[in-house]
Amino acid sequence: MAQKEFSVVGKRITRIDAYERVTGQAQYTGDIQLAGMLYARLLRSPHPHARVVSIDTSKAEKLAGVKAVIHHQNAQVPWASGGHTHRRYIFNNPVRFVGDAVAAVAATDRHIAEEALGLIEVKYEKLPHVLDPNEALKPGAPKISTDGNLSVGKGNFSAPIAEQWGDLEKGFKEADRIFEDTYISKHVNNAQLEPRASVAKWEGGKLTVWASTQGVSNARTDIAKDLGLPLSKVRVICKYMGAGFGNKNQAQDYDLMAAVLAKVTGQPVKVEFTREDDFIGMHGRWASEQHYKIGVKRDGTITAVELDAVTNVGAYRKQSGNLSGTDFYQIPNFKKVVKPVHTNTVVGANYRAPAYPQSVFGFASFLDQIAHEMGINPLEMFLKNRVRLYANKTPFTSNFLEECAVEGAKKVGWKEKWHKAGAAAGPKKHGIGMALGGYPFRPGLGAAAIRVNPDGTAHVLVGVTDIGTGAKTTMAIIAAEALGIPLNQIQLTNGDTDVTPYSVGESGSRTTPFTGPAVIAAAEDVRKLIFNVAAPQLKAKAEDLDLRDGKVFVKSNPSQSLPLGRAVARSGELIGRATTNPTFKGLAGKSFAAHFAEVEVDSRTGHVKITRYVAVHDSGTIINRLAAESQIKGGVVQGIGMALTEELLIDRFTAIPLNPSYRDAKVPTHLEVPEIEVVFIEHPDPYGPFGGKVVGEPPITPAVATVANAIFNATGKRIKELPITPDKILRAAQV
Amino acid sequence: MKSFENINVRSVKEAVGLLQKFNGEKKTAQVVSGGTELLQLMKERVATPQYLINLKTIPGLSYIKEERSGFRIGALTTLTEIEENKSVQEKLLFLSQAAGEAASPQLRNAGTIGGNICQRPFCWYFRSASFTCLRKGGELCYAVTGDSRFHAILGGGPSYIVHPSDMAPALIAFGARIKIAGPAGEKTIPLEKFFVLPQVDYKRENILQPGEIVTEIQIPHPRTGSKGFYHKVRERQAWDHPIVSVSTVLQAKDGTCQEARVVLGGVAPVPWRAAKAEAFLRGKKVDEAAARQAGEIALDGARPMKDNGYKVGLAKSLIQRALLASV
Repeated sequence: MAQKEFSVVGKRITRIDAYERVTGQAQYTGDIQLAGMLYARLLRSPHPHARVVSIDTSKAEKLAGVKAVIHHQNAQVPWASGGHTHRRYIFNNPVRFVGDAVAAVAATDRHIAEEALGLIEVKYEKLPHVLDPNEALKPGAPKISTDGNLSVGKGNFSAPIAEQWGDLEKGFKEADRIFEDTYISKHVNNAQLEPRASVAKWEGGKLTVWASTQGVSNARTDIAKDLGLPLSKVRVICKYMGAGFGNKNQAQDYDLMAAVLAKVTGQPVKVEFTREDDFIGMHGRWASEQHYKIGVKRDGTITAVELDAVTNVGAYRKQSGNLSGTDFYQIPNFKKVVKPVHTNTVVGANYRAPAYPQSVFGFASFLDQIAHEMGINPLEMFLKNRVRLYANKTPFTSNFLEECAVEGAKKVGWKEKWHKAGAAAGPKKHGIGMALGGYPFRPGLGAAAIRVNPDGTAHVLVGVTDIGTGAKTTMAIIAAEALGIPLNQIQLTNGDTDVTPYSVGESGSRTTPFTGPAVIAAAEDVRKLIFNVAAPQLKAKAEDLDLRDGKVFVKSNPSQSLPLGRAVARSGELIGRATTNPTFKGLAGKSFAAHFAEVEVDSRTGHVKITRYVAVHDSGTIINRLAAESQIKGGVVQGIGMALTEELLIDRFTAIPLNPSYRDAKVPTHLEVPEIEVVFIEHPDPYGPFGGKVVGEPPITPAVATVANAIFNATGKRIKELPITPDKILRAAQV
Repeated sequence: MKSFENINVRSVKEAVGLLQKFNGEKKTAQVVSGGTELLQLMKERVATPQYLINLKTIPGLSYIKEERSGFRIGALTTLTEIEENKSVQEKLLFLSQAAGEAASPQLRNAGTIGGNICQRPFCWYFRSASFTCLRKGGELCYAVTGDSRFHAILGGGPSYIVHPSDMAPALIAFGARIKIAGPAGEKTIPLEKFFVLPQVDYKRENILQPGEIVTEIQIPHPRTGSKGFYHKVRERQAWDHPIVSVSTVLQAKDGTCQEARVVLGGVAPVPWRAAKAEAFLRGKKVDEAAARQAGEIALDGARPMKDNGYKVGLAKSLIQRALLASV
């Protein structure tokens, strides 16, 4: 699309539903109340691996108010999106981790349901278990899945995940120095604000599920498939959401439990999770152990990289388990083998840029270390090795990674502030660090409809859910810009499979690149209809008309005009629609970022204070500046948490999670986060809607490594295992 | 949460009477003030009282009074009220700071000084309903074999919790006393005598008997020339317990210590008064060497567990820093 002056795109726009959200009028899934609705609670396995020998629910069922108890014997429902490699059910036998669902109770109130859980008598036969992925790969380790503990892939997932190009041997021969080391990341929970809930109701053989999902369309597909219903007999609605960061993709087991309980009882059912349920029962980011071998020339140029890694996907393989942090570097000879491994722990699956921050931590930390050991300034090291061609062969649709790094270095004052690692005197040590990141920008299937009303307003219909990214506002901005009417004349309905068009699902930073082009095309479609009906009224040809600021006018004589509403009035309304499916031919898409942090490390207490943070992003044209900046800041905050404090700890003997709460898993607070300075390097991408690429996932990707590298610069001690807590810093200082 | 009956009481006497009555009837009852602590235990089903006796409806238990002898703080005074009190800020060196660094603003607005001192442990084995640990009637202190990164390095055994209160060590550094109401009337004892080591009784953190309620904290004015220092090291700068905290009150003349109080938090099952270090300091010129040696003496006898050895050095360096900042 040719670059032009935008009227709405690029401005700082408050969310179109901000008022409803902050005044409590917005109805989230947990707020939904239906007549006769029951409340459900879940019983979870206390054992990491056990066969359920028997379940006696008679006492629970006798408790006044209890309406139904379901478990693996009376509700054997597959959960399609719960497992990529094996058939997983909503209740499994054997249970494979502490937290695996065993039963669900529906009762007339929450407390009765909770009380009833304690009355269910389950006999377990304990099975041997394994928690460590390296142990799990050893011969003779307890088998978690029938095929062994190295997760067997299908579809897009191969096992182990392997990627290779160039000639590794040649690459290492060309190297002046070869470095080898191991970096470790831990399981962290998505910790989204909105606790999980699902409400199910049956009416005339049709099931309606109010879900908190990152995709109503695929949630519907999954629910229909899992319950053996025609697609048309399932409706999924999600109007407001309090985030998910990848752990509310598609349909979850509790959506299916709500549906089954509602069917059995003949009453609507609401399933609610406690925060502990959320931490132990769903999934977090997969932990990893990354072993790198890196060959470099004397000047720091990478000649070869070999990555051999295991990732802990927990008891079930829900998503890829991959590591992709090498994406941001030009590596002529490369080999990667990542083994996703089953253990008897909570599932490791999608969390904002699933394969990146843990892996960028490993690779960018190691590159920073190599720069240190070779006496090269890290900025130079990162700039020299930044990616030019994807996988060493495919050009990008646009790539301003260099500009991000150069601009960020200038803003943070790298030249003046960078010093040799550990050089600072005194107990409070200053450090500065950086890393590169980003996230794939892919095109794909999107759909939208726009209805223009006789009052001159437009009603946009999109299937997207607004998981907290401001997607509703983004779509309204795109519609206003493409239509030529003011933003306050746009209404938007989203996230309802009976009403709104298909959407691929709001994950993988796909919302704007997939649905954005469809909104533009739907706007163009309805503009044609508008010009057709306006042409006779303006005594002009349709092709000579334009629409701007809510007025239809003759291009050669703008004073010859008609308010949009008047133009449409005689038609009742006009409806434009579009399904788009753009592709890149021979190109790869990516948003890029370079992050910089300054820290002050107190060598006496191990306390890390981040004093400054600069995040520079190439995301093409920015659609909504306010929302985009917020996305960057949110991603950085999560990265800071992962770098400094967050980890779900599992007791090594009982396999019971020790800290499944906001308090103990140590999600960062305001005091851990400095003012984050966001800079956009704004060059329109030739393929994105209005030139925009992706914003949601890039910011978390370099943040962990950026903080880690700043800590190294301060202390001169490399911490190779996350999170970098005071105890690790104090121990390292003693070495 | 298990269902319970809430009883609003109008006086301490009524509360004490009810506690005694329920105890006699073998019913479980607990007093509640801010509720920030008890509610968590009840939600986690670690505490399942049949009756809650609500102290908030007792008039006149929330106050900060400054008298000739010192301060009197009512048990229902919130941490925020202590943090924001002008006289406390001016005269009690770091008590306002200690209150202001406890928990989070929301919790400090509701949580009371009485409740803070009577907190149960925040050990993850104790807090999880999945573990029947020693302190909950089981046979094991799971920290011994499990994850002990936040557990005791001093005074542990057979249980290795650390006392979670931020206020208690700070108050003990001032020589505070605690007033307790019970069936036999009122008594006032030094606050440090309120806490119980696990070797004495591993199922309780303090001496409160059934029917007893904390009603007041008394804090003498620091002696003229006293200087204080408080520092709490934690992983997260809000809503986190101390890894180690130090509270010191030092009275010195020309750099020579006349009287010292050194109290550590986060290291032991009780607020840990480093009495030997205090004795060592008396009459000493407080310089680098003396401060370092005081730290060594304070941690002499520390027995770190598998994961918490880092606390020893941390506590030593904190004491050293505190003392040098206090002269």
